Amino acid sequence: MADAADAPLLQAEGIETGYGKVQVLWGAGVDVRARESVVLLGANGAGKTTLLKVLVGLLPSWRGTVRLGGEDVTALRTDRRVRRGLAYMSELGVFAGLTIDENLRIGGQFVERAALRTRIEELYAVFPDLAERKRASAGSLSGGQRKMLGIAKALAAGPRVLVMDEPSAGLSPLFVQQVIGVLGRFRAQGLAMLIAEQNVAFLDLADRVFTLEGGRIRFEGTVAQLHADDALHRAYFGLA
Amino acid sequence: MLIGAIVAGVVFGLYFTLVGLGLNLVFGVMRIVNLAHGDFLMLGGYAAWWLLSAFGIHPLPAAAIVLVVFMLAGLPLYYLVVPRLQRARDSEMLSLILFFGLSQMIEAVTTIVVGTTERSLPGRLLGIGPMIVLGARLPKPWVFSAAVSAVAVLGVYLYLYRTRLGTLTRAVMVSRDEALATGIDIHRVSAIAFGISLGLAGIAGVFAPFMLGSITPNIGVGLNITAFAVIVVGTLGNPLGTVVGGIVYGVSLMLMQTYFSSWANLLPNLLLIAVLLARPQGLYGRRVRLA
Repeated sequence: MADAADAPLLQAEGIETGYGKVQVLWGAGVDVRARESVVLLGANGAGKTTLLKVLVGLLPSWRGTVRLGGEDVTALRTDRRVRRGLAYMSELGVFAGLTIDENLRIGGQFVERAALRTRIEELYAVFPDLAERKRASAGSLSGGQRKMLGIAKALAAGPRVLVMDEPSAGLSPLFVQQVIGVLGRFRAQGLAMLIAEQNVAFLDLADRVFTLEGGRIRFEGTVAQLHADDALHRAYFGLA
Repeated sequence: MLIGAIVAGVVFGLYFTLVGLGLNLVFGVMRIVNLAHGDFLMLGGYAAWWLLSAFGIHPLPAAAIVLVVFMLAGLPLYYLVVPRLQRARDSEMLSLILFFGLSQMIEAVTTIVVGTTERSLPGRLLGIGPMIVLGARLPKPWVFSAAVSAVAVLGVYLYLYRTRLGTLTRAVMVSRDEALATGIDIHRVSAIAFGISLGLAGIAGVFAPFMLGSITPNIGVGLNITAFAVIVVGTLGNPLGTVVGGIVYGVSLMLMQTYFSSWANLLPNLLLIAVLLARPQGLYGRRVRLA
């Protein structure tokens, strides 16, 4: 019998969905346990964003179920899932026309006022670049700073599990390492994360890896197991 | 004469800001064009006329009543119409058609109920005689109406920039997709914005007889064009840009009426064309860093 502590915090099973009549996902599934960091690896067009959208409630699934903390949330809207502890950082990640402070307050919209103030101050301590420019428009930030704000905005909700869509998108290798460094700190604190990426550098953060190809999960296991699979190793890391 | 025209223009500009503000709020939040906006404004005018003639209610408390009633009416109207529109593939175009139909229906029903006779409210209700503002002599009802408009605009500003719900509303304006991804209850925010928009149109309607002279059931179409010019000049989707658009429109109108009076009616169309050609993002449009 499975230990309750090992039960997935976030779980998608047998997800089939698409856009219009075009099916994108064919029975895909992924799960994240408490204090676990999972990387969903896949190339452009593999269906990563689509799977994340189903997980957070932005896209309905034709078949399959999504569970959050054991509760079936398949039919729930995104705001209801956020209230239950799910935070999502989209590829865009921030509201460019609003200030940094407003972005953080929106991220923590369901948090009680005093608690949110404390949380935002804690986040400013982690992201000093943002603290220096609280009143600046998010649209004035560089790509790397926007990613940091996107992460901070998602964390302002105080999530049980953080879902991120390609946090490396549009960033230089230097900024990618900074993002990985920041996420590594939160991983060490026990934050459950699901990171959809095509950049293998994020495997440094992974307790487990799923690979997605053509809308189907091809692999599930540890990073070591991924490296041990010759075909996958070649596909994601080039010729050995 | 020039100073007088400019001062009168600013006073009218504040009123025109109120005329366009609700339309811009709806466009900013929902990306739909409410072509019945002018007709709700017209209904506000008739409501004020009815409240005065039937119950002797002064336009100021009438404006408060109209604000509340129109806001409340906006909520079910939103849920009845807008979510279905937004599920459509081309919601902006569909909104034009649907709200044009609603506009025609409101005008027709109003005509049946009240007839086509022009209705006005006695100007003395808002003060007798002229008021001197920066050397310009202006009718007191104009100044009164402009002051109420300014208070309404300030109220919208405070809502958008000083309340939690207002911040969420601006977030939806910035990016609907990101708002959804962040878990903002888009429909709650939009329904309230729609209600506020109707409330603002209603208040503008209450003061329309004082600013425009009289009201008839068919003034909605012309007011829509005016409101559209104001928000395009200001910046589509940016409620505060409406203030810029309203003042520019009001001052331009008064200058035209002072120096080229026979051309004044062309102004909304001229401004629309000029702004769309020279500065499509509007006078208040801002740049955003892309990388």
